[in-house]
Amino acid sequence: MIIVAIIAVLVLIFGIGIYNSLISKKNQVANAFSAIDVMVKKRFDLIPNLVEVVKQYTQYEGDTLTKITELRGKAMGNHVTEGDKLAIDQQLGAAVKGLMVSVENYPDLKANTNFLNLQSTWTESEEQIAAARRNYNASVTSYNNAVMMFPGNMFAGMLGYQPMQVLAATEEERKNISAKELFNN
Amino acid sequence: MDVNYTQNGKLQSVLAELEVERKKVLSANTQGYGAIILGIVLIVALAVMGLLVAGMVTGLAAIIFGGVILFRISDAATDYKNRFKMDVVGALLSNVDQSLTIQPDRGIVEGEFRQSQLFTTDPDRYSTEDLISGKIGNTSIYFAEVHAEYKTETQGKNGRQEHWHDILKGIVFVADFNKNFNGVTAIRPKDFGSSIGAWFAKNIYSFGDKNIVELENEAFNKNFVTYSTDQIEARYILTPALMDRLCELNQRAAYAISVSFVNSNMYIAFPLAKNYFEAPLFKSLLNADALNEDLSVLHFMYAIVQELDLNTRIWTKQ
Repeated sequence: MIIVAIIAVLVLIFGIGIYNSLISKKNQVANAFSAIDVMVKKRFDLIPNLVEVVKQYTQYEGDTLTKITELRGKAMGNHVTEGDKLAIDQQLGAAVKGLMVSVENYPDLKANTNFLNLQSTWTESEEQIAAARRNYNASVTSYNNAVMMFPGNMFAGMLGYQPMQVLAATEEERKNISAKELFNN
Repeated sequence: MDVNYTQNGKLQSVLAELEVERKKVLSANTQGYGAIILGIVLIVALAVMGLLVAGMVTGLAAIIFGGVILFRISDAATDYKNRFKMDVVGALLSNVDQSLTIQPDRGIVEGEFRQSQLFTTDPDRYSTEDLISGKIGNTSIYFAEVHAEYKTETQGKNGRQEHWHDILKGIVFVADFNKNFNGVTAIRPKDFGSSIGAWFAKNIYSFGDKNIVELENEAFNKNFVTYSTDQIEARYILTPALMDRLCELNQRAAYAISVSFVNSNMYIAFPLAKNYFEAPLFKSLLNADALNEDLSVLHFMYAIVQELDLNTRIWTKQ
């Protein structure tokens, strides 16, 4: 009788452990996603300053600047889903990268301290977003393993937990940004 | 960078000068220790022959004579060792990079060693020497020899016995890291205990160590377990490229390295089998390969900045 009770208690503790583990993994995924969001917002905040500085020195980059401003406006709008925001962020990243390359034609701008600061802050935020995305993917992988493998899959079925998609790796996540490539020095 | 130090005229003349010193110290040592050994042999031999008093008198005289020789050469011996470090190692250093200098009496202080969190065990006995520092490109570096040990005690037949075990005997290398960070990230070689910890963290989340960072580089995970106070920051520091480079560095090192990122510095511990930058006594300084081992260690340390790409300063930290 006592043995049965002990086994029952052990099974209960084990079950609670698995259940809690699933919940905390799911929460961690949500947490990791909001971390990307924070980093992306931080990057969006750099845009107005960047546009202002570049505008002062360049005459021919109007189109790129308008596109960048528009993209930021779209991302900051009220009716954007999280997925869209990430997609806009990617486009924005590509547009700014293009801008950084064309800056080569403006020696005055290249020498501007304000611009140089913005440039390195931008690179930093790029890597921080890459890190946040990798963190999100690690959390999703850990959650997916728990949901799909025995015995977690039994609880996952009851809770209605489904496996999630990882984010596709961007160029920045695959390689380290090289100063030479970026600034073409 | 002049790799071949034998071409360096100034260094050659210092070596020739020091070689004379080395021979002097060696011959005094041979005479001194020889006399002491002779004295002991005399005491034992004459005592066996029943001539204890004569043995004591001649033996002690020989021992005292030996002691005096050793005492008289001790200053010259210390001077030889110091000059080797300052002049020879110093010249090797400036051959590698003009900014590098050596301070033989200084090292990495124990407080910094503890703070670096390279190892989980705190040392009970600590010694350090041969601090080498400089600036390679934009990156300030310093490294020193460190010997950190911890103590265990066992209760034996003859009372308590102390046993000393190495935490690290080798070199701790410190570089100003090229990115800003606030937390602590430590990368330690994978051993049995940490593997179990990592397994728990991965499979049974609620029982595992929440500081363990699961990275996506399989080769890296096979060699190391990564701990961090901040999961995202750890990935910000450990880019896929840096993970690859650390794996390469680990392969080139003789023993498994430990790495940590603390207080805006990067720390790397290299366990080594011997004490480097020491003046040889029994080998000639004029041998073509006399300094090769020291030089290869210096080149290894110097190359780290390049290998880990620490001179790339495109982030806000300059």
